[in-house]
Amino acid sequence: MRSITIALAVARKDLASEWRTREIVPALAQFVVLALVIANFGFQFDSRNAPAIAPGVLWMALVFAGLVAFGRAFAAEREQASLEAMLMTPAMPAAIFAGKALAAGLLLVICEAVLLPALALFFAVPLTFDEVSAVLLATVGMAVLGCLFAAMVAQVRARELLLPLLTLPLWIPFVVVGGQAVQSAMGGGGTATGSANGLLLDLDILFVVLTSLAARFVLDD
Amino acid sequence: MSTIVGTALTQRFGADVALDAVDLVVDAGEHLAVLGENGAGKTTLLRIVATAARPTSGTLQIFGLDAMVERRRLRGRIGFVAHAPGLYPALSAAENLAFFCTLQGVDRARVAQVLDLVGLADIARRPAGKLSRGAQQRLAIGRAVLHEPQLLVLDEPDASLDSDGPDLLMKVMRGRTAIIATHDHALANRLCKRTLELRRGRVVGVPTRLRVVH
Repeated sequence: MRSITIALAVARKDLASEWRTREIVPALAQFVVLALVIANFGFQFDSRNAPAIAPGVLWMALVFAGLVAFGRAFAAEREQASLEAMLMTPAMPAAIFAGKALAAGLLLVICEAVLLPALALFFAVPLTFDEVSAVLLATVGMAVLGCLFAAMVAQVRARELLLPLLTLPLWIPFVVVGGQAVQSAMGGGGTATGSANGLLLDLDILFVVLTSLAARFVLDD
Repeated sequence: MSTIVGTALTQRFGADVALDAVDLVVDAGEHLAVLGENGAGKTTLLRIVATAARPTSGTLQIFGLDAMVERRRLRGRIGFVAHAPGLYPALSAAENLAFFCTLQGVDRARVAQVLDLVGLADIARRPAGKLSRGAQQRLAIGRAVLHEPQLLVLDEPDASLDSDGPDLLMKVMRGRTAIIATHDHALANRLCKRTLELRRGRVVGVPTRLRVVH
């Protein structure tokens, strides 16, 4: 119970800081819209192939937006030397990590709230509940993995380079399964969205448990 | 009874020896000043005592507990003021303390008491990032005593504090065991009964008021 209280307090603190500084979300929202504009001009698409192209564009934009959002989650803490102050309390590192991942994940969800309708508009594809649920399920797993590696590399000088190198390989299952789910939801065929979302949920559970266990070793020393 | 018993504490960073076999004993309720020039090893020693860093070798017992093993348990009994204030600039002074109340498991009523103690009650709603460096340091000191720790570890807490700073430090150290790193010998003499001088990671010299440290 105390761990949940701590995780929520950490997430609330991060979201309040972002609300007041508006450091990440406006930049990410602009980035995802620009990515869609470029893709809109770069791909030759029509009503037949749009459901095949749009999921790829969606996941590319999400992956790069996620790298920025999760990278900042711990970089800011290290810059202002506040992570150590948090760790010098009896709070469980896993609870602190969960709060950081929750806040970073929610920031990405806000970008998705811009990205998904914009994608539907630019590519003339349907925006369905199945598509939204696939993206949200993938966001959970991507957030915990992204934050874990962001915490690992936060003190390293080349962290901007290392974060994608470590994170992207482990995000591949989310991009593959999520891509299939979204393609199917957009009417482009492929794996049924229901079974793809089930697999995304399994991946989420697996990585939430693994990252919670690893958080102690990553954060505490 | 001794609150801190450190034996042969050594910290190496690659080929550099930041702390070289330092023995340390601090009794309950005692105030110890750690003196030394820049790079002498003061911060390294204090970070080890605060459980923020692990020594390369040596043993450390705090409140009779092995500090290498029982770090989390000990952190609820230690207050640490590090070199950097480590505050959240977008949150107000009161919000910073309230957040740490949750982490420490302390009632939020303590926030008002601590703001009063460190003299920030009037500017409690101002974002920490907009406070002067001295006020930020006061807030960091307040955060360190939020959970009423039995041991205070203060790394150059007088940095940026105004002329009332020593009085504030005396107030927060009263009734607690404290170890404080400073360049200021006068402040050390005013706040502490014992001093420990470090040079290049080793204990040197025995200032007049020093009892037995090494």
